[in-house]
Amino acid sequence: MEVTLNINGEKKTVDLDPDMPLLWAIRDFVWLTGTKFGCGIGQCGACTVLMDGQPVRSCTLPVSAVSGAITTIEGLSENNDHPVQQAWIEAQVPQCGYCQSGQILNAVALLEKNASPSEEEIHRAMDGVLCRCGTYPRIRKAIKIASQ
Amino acid sequence: MKTKINRRKFVQLSAASSLFLAVGCVPKGDQQEEVVNVSNLPTTELNQFIKIDTQGKVTLMNHRPEMGQGTYQAIPMILAEELEVDINRVTIEQSPANSERYGRQMVVGSHSIQNEYDKLRKMGAAAKAMLISAAAERWQMDPSQCKAENGQVSNTQNKETLNYGELVEAAAQMEAPTDPKLKDPKAFKIIGQAIPRADIPLKTNGKAEFGIDKSVPGMLYASIERSPVFLGEVAEIDDSETRKVPGVKQVLKTSREVFGRTRHGVAVLADTYWAAYKGRQALKVTWDQKGLEANTSASIMEDYRKASAKNDDVQFEKGNADRVLSSSEVHTATYEMPYQAHVPMEPMNAIVHVEKDKAAFWGSTQNPNGIRSFLAEKLNISPENIAINYTFMGGGFGRRSLTDIAEEAADLSQQSGAPVKVIWTREDDQTQGPFRACSLNVLKGALDEEGQLNALEHKVVCQEIRNQTGNNNTSIGQMTGGINTEYGVPNMAVKAVVQKHYVPISYWRAVYHSTNPFAHESFIDEMANQAGKDPLAFRLAMMQDHPRFRRVLEEARKIVNWDAPRNLDQGRGIAIAERSGAHFAMVVDVSRDKQKINIDKITTILDLGTCVNPDTVKAQTEGSIVMGLSATLAGLTIENGAVAEQNFDSYSILKISQCPEIETHILPSDAKPDGAGESGLPTVAPALANAIYDLTGKRIRKLPLSLELNQTDIG
Repeated sequence: MEVTLNINGEKKTVDLDPDMPLLWAIRDFVWLTGTKFGCGIGQCGACTVLMDGQPVRSCTLPVSAVSGAITTIEGLSENNDHPVQQAWIEAQVPQCGYCQSGQILNAVALLEKNASPSEEEIHRAMDGVLCRCGTYPRIRKAIKIASQ
Repeated sequence: MKTKINRRKFVQLSAASSLFLAVGCVPKGDQQEEVVNVSNLPTTELNQFIKIDTQGKVTLMNHRPEMGQGTYQAIPMILAEELEVDINRVTIEQSPANSERYGRQMVVGSHSIQNEYDKLRKMGAAAKAMLISAAAERWQMDPSQCKAENGQVSNTQNKETLNYGELVEAAAQMEAPTDPKLKDPKAFKIIGQAIPRADIPLKTNGKAEFGIDKSVPGMLYASIERSPVFLGEVAEIDDSETRKVPGVKQVLKTSREVFGRTRHGVAVLADTYWAAYKGRQALKVTWDQKGLEANTSASIMEDYRKASAKNDDVQFEKGNADRVLSSSEVHTATYEMPYQAHVPMEPMNAIVHVEKDKAAFWGSTQNPNGIRSFLAEKLNISPENIAINYTFMGGGFGRRSLTDIAEEAADLSQQSGAPVKVIWTREDDQTQGPFRACSLNVLKGALDEEGQLNALEHKVVCQEIRNQTGNNNTSIGQMTGGINTEYGVPNMAVKAVVQKHYVPISYWRAVYHSTNPFAHESFIDEMANQAGKDPLAFRLAMMQDHPRFRRVLEEARKIVNWDAPRNLDQGRGIAIAERSGAHFAMVVDVSRDKQKINIDKITTILDLGTCVNPDTVKAQTEGSIVMGLSATLAGLTIENGAVAEQNFDSYSILKISQCPEIETHILPSDAKPDGAGESGLPTVAPALANAIYDLTGKRIRKLPLSLELNQTDIG
């Protein structure tokens, strides 16, 4: 089935199985690999992308159910200079870095809705994004930097 | 452009020990020359770690794979310090996998900095000395009258300067000094500074490339169905539905070796990952599970309990613990810890392409040279014809030190003739292992009349990683790791009882230091309580002859204000440990919040010698604590012979809302660097359990523990 996806402001038409999760369409058909496979059941958040600004788990969203404009980590800024990316660098958040696209996009969506979240609000918004390296203290710090 | 370079200037690695470096040990008179294609720019290599172009642009090699530990930055920092260049202006390049040029490249056991520190300093210092010699020759003066700083050499007589780019071609013709002078650590400008990591910007915009992001032309994807019971073999395959899935190309049996045992699977190969996965879902495999499905976590622990009656395999003995413990009032406690999965966020994967006389690997690995030698032997191809393309790793934690995923990809590439990319699902990773071992520890202790610990026995009943099969091998390997024999106890015995069964185990961050210290440091606390003594003072009294443990305990006492009174809703616990040379004390503060225990703060005091990048060491400590806390609050269980927890919905690694405040203090030291990648992990479980005891009076002897106060786990 031919599907047209609006990814990072560009229209991409791809011919694929309509059951295919958006994650694999992005990675294996649009060849943007910043969006990561982590668990396949929407439990770890590594695959998070924004659909019309809302965070969605691309590993469980069939490509046929995509209903809005998709932003991946590659589309967040031209020069790695989105305030959240800058805060992530300032706080030296990533270790292995694998989950960080999902962390950053979740944080972007949080800050769009709530410019200065409390610690409890940060936890509520970010709890579904797992980091095995344990960068959580720095994620909290970076979100506070970005919210100033 | 091909640059002609003289072989003599290469800094050689001694053949006797790949870790030992002798700078310039090629004998004089060896005029053999070779032509090396260095780069398209007029760039010159002063040694295998340092390249400088004629404009003065410096490229430093990082020869260790990066899995988050931060040596991507710390290794070049050490080179830059001695080379006298601005670390923020160098280009960092990941070196090829080449053990002849770089020595050991495997990243395990927090070894990279502590084992490579001297070698890297000499590499930087040797290159600097060559640049100085080139300048001295140009100025016709003695090298001692020249000074290198900030990428240039200055003439101390007339303040004339030449930058490294102007000197590099002449320097490259110089002989590498055999014993270059190293800087006085007091003059360090880079080592010891919290310098931002160069890999971090790549990890905020999706540009960092991991193994799973690689693709090669003509590649097929493979998803592999495996027996839920680890040693199951294929009895029957029905692939009729699988073959109907569009994109599916082949269904193939495959296998891999894990510590002496063959693990079987059935692979679905397809032109997309999704088709391979869907095809696998449609596959019907009947497994011969050999009766192993009767095993459970409880039955394994019961076997361990029976085995703990054995009294052989004494690994460490001081005084006569047996005699004292048979003639005194003895306190005994048994501790249990479950299996754990590594679950790096990047699922396991590898691409291998096997051709007639050559092969290539692409992927994320802690052990690039190990994969080369493994594939060379398996495929009977000369190692120099095996290309190893390694990437950033999305976490490793020991899991990526093995070669089994490359083995599957190589086997499937051989069978299919195409390059094959194997991607494991999260379920594969979490249920197939190999795992961090489960463990039973039995401790006995006796006090003397003054309430000092007079005798201590620590017995470990566990599987051993390198000794998982066969009945004749009784080697205990690292099994007693993390048991603190430095305590000044007059009679002490450490015993090990090796268990062998079918659950596969492997290295997991801090290895046996992730289990034994829970039992050991909890029991020290129990004995302090038996003696009616303060747990910190009790430890300190036994560490009077051990300056490093004494120091971290004394600093901890001051930093957390240990002796200040606490109210009834607060508890505090302490634990100490050594791992990979680093010595540390950890204090956990907890409080009662209705029916729940809050972990308020975890404070770590670290003595790990010279600290190359303190911010990276802090990050590693935070990571170790989070991973240690995950393993304290959750574990895997075996039911029906297989792992019950399939994915993150049932095996809950720590979430941000569960992550306490973490404070890390690095004590100043000029000693050689110790390992920093696992510091703090061994102490989390015991310090937390000791804090819960302090708060509730209930002793925890089984992990995972619950922070709910009404749970029966506590008590």
